[in-house]
Amino acid sequence: MALKQISSNKCFGGLQKVFEHESVELKCKMKFAVYLPPKAETGKCPALYWLSGLTCTEQNFISKSGYHQAASEHGLVVIVPDTSPRECHIKGEDDSWDFGTGAGFYVNATEDPWKTNYRMYSYVTEELPQLINANFPVDPQRMSIFGHSMGGHGALICALKNPGKYKSVSAFAPICNPVLCPWGKKAFTGYLGTDESKWKTYDATHLVTSYPGSQLDILIDQGKDDQFLSDGQLLPDNFIAACTEKKIPVVFRLQEGYDHSYYFIATFIADHIRHHAKYLNA
Amino acid sequence: MEEVVEEEPRLDRSPAPEDFHFYHMDLYDCEDTLQSFPEGNTRLRRETVQAEGGPGQAGEGQAQRDLQEVNEFIHLYGLEDDHELGDEFLDEDRMGRSAYPPYGLKRREPAREQRDWRLGEEDEAEDQGYAGWGMAGQSQALQEAYRYTHGRASEEYECYVIPEEEDEEEAADVFCVTCRTPIRGVEKDIDEHKEHEVTPLNKALESAKDEIHKNMYKLEQQIIEMENFASHLEEVFITVEENFGRQEQNFESHYNEILETLAQKYEEKIQALGEKKKEKLEALYGQLVSCGENLNTCKELMETIEEICHEEKVDFLKDAVAMTDRLGKFLKTKTDVEISAQPHFEDQTLDFSDVEQLMGSMNTIPAPSAPVINPQAPNSATGSSVRVCWSLYSDDTVESYWLSYRPVQDSPPGKDQEEFTVTVKETYCSVTNLEPNTQYEFWVIAKNRAGPSPSSEHAVYMTAPSPPVIKTEAIRSCEEAVLICWESGNLNPVDSYTVELTQVEMPATSGVTESVVGIPTCESLIQLQPGQSYTICVRALNVGGPSARSEPATVCTTGSYFPLNKATCHPWLNISEDGFMVIRSERKSLTREPLPSQTQFTRCVAVMGNLIPVRGRHYWEVEVDECLDYTVGVAFEDVPKQEDLGANGLSWCMKHTFAASRHKYEFLHNRTTPDIRITVPPKKIGILLDYENSKLSFFNVDIAQHLYTFSCQLHRFVHPCFSLEKPGYLKICNGISMPMHATFY
Repeated sequence: MALKQISSNKCFGGLQKVFEHESVELKCKMKFAVYLPPKAETGKCPALYWLSGLTCTEQNFISKSGYHQAASEHGLVVIVPDTSPRECHIKGEDDSWDFGTGAGFYVNATEDPWKTNYRMYSYVTEELPQLINANFPVDPQRMSIFGHSMGGHGALICALKNPGKYKSVSAFAPICNPVLCPWGKKAFTGYLGTDESKWKTYDATHLVTSYPGSQLDILIDQGKDDQFLSDGQLLPDNFIAACTEKKIPVVFRLQEGYDHSYYFIATFIADHIRHHAKYLNA
Repeated sequence: MEEVVEEEPRLDRSPAPEDFHFYHMDLYDCEDTLQSFPEGNTRLRRETVQAEGGPGQAGEGQAQRDLQEVNEFIHLYGLEDDHELGDEFLDEDRMGRSAYPPYGLKRREPAREQRDWRLGEEDEAEDQGYAGWGMAGQSQALQEAYRYTHGRASEEYECYVIPEEEDEEEAADVFCVTCRTPIRGVEKDIDEHKEHEVTPLNKALESAKDEIHKNMYKLEQQIIEMENFASHLEEVFITVEENFGRQEQNFESHYNEILETLAQKYEEKIQALGEKKKEKLEALYGQLVSCGENLNTCKELMETIEEICHEEKVDFLKDAVAMTDRLGKFLKTKTDVEISAQPHFEDQTLDFSDVEQLMGSMNTIPAPSAPVINPQAPNSATGSSVRVCWSLYSDDTVESYWLSYRPVQDSPPGKDQEEFTVTVKETYCSVTNLEPNTQYEFWVIAKNRAGPSPSSEHAVYMTAPSPPVIKTEAIRSCEEAVLICWESGNLNPVDSYTVELTQVEMPATSGVTESVVGIPTCESLIQLQPGQSYTICVRALNVGGPSARSEPATVCTTGSYFPLNKATCHPWLNISEDGFMVIRSERKSLTREPLPSQTQFTRCVAVMGNLIPVRGRHYWEVEVDECLDYTVGVAFEDVPKQEDLGANGLSWCMKHTFAASRHKYEFLHNRTTPDIRITVPPKKIGILLDYENSKLSFFNVDIAQHLYTFSCQLHRFVHPCFSLEKPGYLKICNGISMPMHATFY
């Protein structure tokens, strides 16, 4: 479990670092980014996990979203894992951008040949938090999760599958109902097989219906001019309907004129970090 | 020489310029200066002689030391080497010139002493002294050298110079306490000072100075005292003159009165006496006349009888009988021989009682002069009483005063106000049972048994106002301040108001009262500490003083507290009795939509709250029904009342519409809203108005969920607004401290 520091840059008084380690869960070398706010020098800080979208590495978020200032001010350690196992030499892993490398979908694969390495769900909910808790000044009791697109889906399912584990959750343009969208169908078929009942255990809209009702405040921002919204990949309305039905608090903000890009994320990142800080620093 | 010259301007007065003169003198032969020297020198010498007791001792030891000093001096200024100096001594010309310096240098010594005396700057003085000595020493050494090398010629010169020198060389450096004289240090072990107590001269100097300063101080004190005493005497002098003058007048008037009374009495007596005399004389005269008549009758009778006696017997008898009858008759009439009036007059006692009374009153008092009524003392009045004070002249004896008063009224001058008079013994009176905040005219008359004084001037006193009445229902507050309004409670205007604040705390620390004074109007915005409870009272003030406290009002600086502005209320809305429930009943078909108005909402069925005009953060909550159509938010006071809330740039609000079992939430400003979906309909909406960050945020209170935040430029103050689009009610919750989660927005 040795950590290898790849880079370290001072940013808003804190340090943006990238590490590499040998993942037990994924059986490959994984990189992840950690931002340590100035407050982390003197005490333990809450941990906020960011899950990126399709094709991303740990680099996209830390270089494009401009989250550092807000994280520095609120004193949050932000952890950004990669989006899939890397260089596992599985046949077809690099064939398409929405499956395999860069498209782990935060599930534990059950199908061959993926099931050995593609265990991103366990990685982001178990292995990585343990690694972080052991090596960085974070308070294990205070963690939250958020993400974008596929990572938004990941954040939602992590929170909904583990009531109480995360203090809060938020998402930018999440894939809300993967069972019903082309991306989800492709990925779940590949990783989980054809049994759709297994799919539902990784579907936020379905998970809501069985969520036991522990307090969870969900903030979702969605660009109105997001092409994947109109393509039916994200399906937020299904999720909102389910939450309304189950009285799970969601504020869903359809942002006029924004698309799916990191420009959109950068615009509202401060709102999201504040949303988490409200629960993490309460 | 530089050092010396530099120092010189700092010396006192004349010596410095004279030093310069010295050098000039040699060149220009200034006679004036020359003449001034002997005088100065003799004086100096005398002083030195006195100081040292004997000049003889000074000579050799001093010379030795001086020689050494001269060398040092020369070294110091790098003039010449020793042997060079020796050569120089041979130069007669130079000798003649350099022999002079002692005059000038000596002249400086008294100056130094004088300065020492005044300033006590010992260090400087010593430096200066050293320089002086140096110069003196040099000259003496030169002379000695001269004497040594030359013969007689120089001795003439020496005769001229030396005596001055030697005397003045010897300065005392210690002070013999026993002999009270300064002596030189070397002397202290010899002669008469051997057994004596000695102190350093400077110390002696100091103590002598102190002594003199003390004495001067005492003298000054005494002068002041004497001056005071003299002025006091003058005062007494004047007072005596006045008093006696007054008494003289008093006596004069009294004695005149007595003399007049006596003269009057004399007149009366004389007149009465004359009348009595006349009466008596008249009575006596009457008696005399009647007496004469009787006598004539008697004579006549005698004659008749004699005639009868000479008649015939028959005739005689006949006549005698008749005569006898007549005689008998005559004799029967009694002759009055009593004197009707006594020659002496009845003993009349003179009545001097009134004179005696006048005499008696002479040594007692005159009627008092008019008292002087004081103007009203500040804070001496209450709402129903004033304390009137006056004074009398110190010589007057007064038994009592009549204090009269009546209310001052501008309106009917002809109509006399009722006057009241009280009798008091003191020179003050608390007059009670008066009307509050009213002017009364007072005047006072002193009296004693000699009579009443003239009336004093009339003075106007004013009763304190009635206590104001706090409009408790209009109190607005926030965490930092309270805006409090009150009714004056007085018909006439008052000068100002005072607000008194008492922090309601634990009983142990209570009782601290802050006051805000000089408030000209019937409202005040007062800064407070957050999270506290205050009891607030108001007093009204006029020249007479403060009123009693108003009934207290309680203010809590937890959250913001605002009443609803009923003037803005749409007629279809009702406000509950406690003022915090806004109710829209089922449509009353009778009430039509009202006409457009500036203050009253006429289109949207809304009411506005009166938020305290304080920038900062304000938080309040509204309880709503999930299925109710409502709008809550803020607006400027002048928001168009015939428009919906949020339909313009002057209002910001959250609007809920419930239709087809769907909740629609809009955050409206200028008719636009972001597209926001909320999955859990709030039952209680928290509203945070933050002037500092120009933000207005809405929350679902129960789940601490942030709903939306407006960024709004609030260049003026806004007020909360509440609107009901369908029958139902809203409950406004005030005085709530801002929840933790709201602090993140």
